[in-house]
Amino acid sequence: MSFIKILNPREKAEIEKALNAQFGIENVPGLIIKRGEERLFLFSGDISENEIRKLEAIVPIERVGFYFAKIIPGENIIRLSIEGSQALSSQIKTNIFELDEKQTEEWMKGHELPIKTGKHGFLIMKHGEDFLGTGKASEEKIGNFIPKNRRLKERQGGNNFKQN
Amino acid sequence: MKNRKTKNYELKPIFLERMSSLLGKEMQTYLDVLDKPLQNSIRCSTLKISPEELLTRLNSKGWEVSQPFKLYPEIMTIKNELSPGELGRSMEHLLGYYYIQEIASMLPVLALKPRPDELVLDLTAAPGSKTTQIAATMNNKGIIIANDSNLGRLKILASNMERCGVANSILVKKDGIYLCKKLKEFGFQFDKILVDAPCSGEGTLRSSDATAKMWNPKTIKNLSKLQKGLLASAIEILKPGGEAVYSTCTHAPEENEGVIDFVLKKFGNNVSIEKISLPVKCRPGIGKWLDHDYDKNIEKSCRIYPQDNDTEGFFIAKMKRKR
Repeated sequence: MSFIKILNPREKAEIEKALNAQFGIENVPGLIIKRGEERLFLFSGDISENEIRKLEAIVPIERVGFYFAKIIPGENIIRLSIEGSQALSSQIKTNIFELDEKQTEEWMKGHELPIKTGKHGFLIMKHGEDFLGTGKASEEKIGNFIPKNRRLKERQGGNNFKQN
Repeated sequence: MKNRKTKNYELKPIFLERMSSLLGKEMQTYLDVLDKPLQNSIRCSTLKISPEELLTRLNSKGWEVSQPFKLYPEIMTIKNELSPGELGRSMEHLLGYYYIQEIASMLPVLALKPRPDELVLDLTAAPGSKTTQIAATMNNKGIIIANDSNLGRLKILASNMERCGVANSILVKKDGIYLCKKLKEFGFQFDKILVDAPCSGEGTLRSSDATAKMWNPKTIKNLSKLQKGLLASAIEILKPGGEAVYSTCTHAPEENEGVIDFVLKKFGNNVSIEKISLPVKCRPGIGKWLDHDYDKNIEKSCRIYPQDNDTEGFFIAKMKRKR
């Protein structure tokens, strides 16, 4: 049984429709690969599905492209990873939350932010030109999804966001 | 020659004898540079940010960044002293704007010259410094099949490829020789292949105490056998006109010229060794080691010693399949 599913044009359009409703994104460049029920990968390689299947017959494929988004089960909404928000940054028009420097440092440390945004649901987190993945806004806070291996380390007596 | 203690490790007498045979009068210069800390070097992840933008950002942090090679602005060195781990915990690193990579380790991909329309195999890809460099050179076009046989290393590879935004890759886990055999059976042929082979790591003594502790001649013999198998298997799946770069981070001739000599003999007129041009001082491959005389053309390969460019040590050779 195949480990990966390459979304067909109709399935890809459904993802794009959801991304458009959430963030104004119109077009995901390249192929979208689905692993399991939730994880989506973005693939820009120049290879046919037949060739991928041929390769899969030789060796189990561990990964294709990079993880860019997660489908939230049962809700038809999508959470972009750091790379997903960066790769689609030029198309993101709505539900952007601009962080200041201090908030960015807290965000990259993996902390939730005690901010009332007046919104509910996923927001693209941004500081200047940097796209920092997606947060989930609720009544009192923005929930954090920065994976552990991408977090700023806590340091004593220092600001590791800007080290002038 | 007496044991020499440098940094926190002791270099074994037989290692010193071998290096002395390779370097002659330059041995002391070599030993001196082993005691010198490596310069901090990074490679801009051009899939995410331009070298100019990264340079501006890093300079604004107070880092004194220089770009030592005009043709390769993505290669940068940081001159000022950084605290331990500072390069790895910066915001720019976490966001995938650069990869921490020793300059000598960047050279095999410069020799490979992958193009955006090509099918490329990175046979021993983890932890991903060269795979991410290949992807950036190809501008996320074409295809990279990145392989590693070790699950733990493969996870690190996947993480690094994701952080650097590599979208044109397919990641697989198999023994390299077996993978090549299967790819051949199924008719896959590659434009470019990188064989950055597992090696005894003699070139990494400036950064790795473990290398000095673990080094022994028996390992070199065993690795040489594996390396010959990997490179020969890779050449089998090159397209006619396709090119393979073989590299190690060691100086041992058995793992370098000995491997190239083996494949030149095995493939005869079907394979040639190509001249490579790199932006650092390279010394030609050696023609003789112990009782072995190597193919004369092996001088086209490139030996990089730490004292020549203030880097780690490397060996790089480029092979071309004629038919």
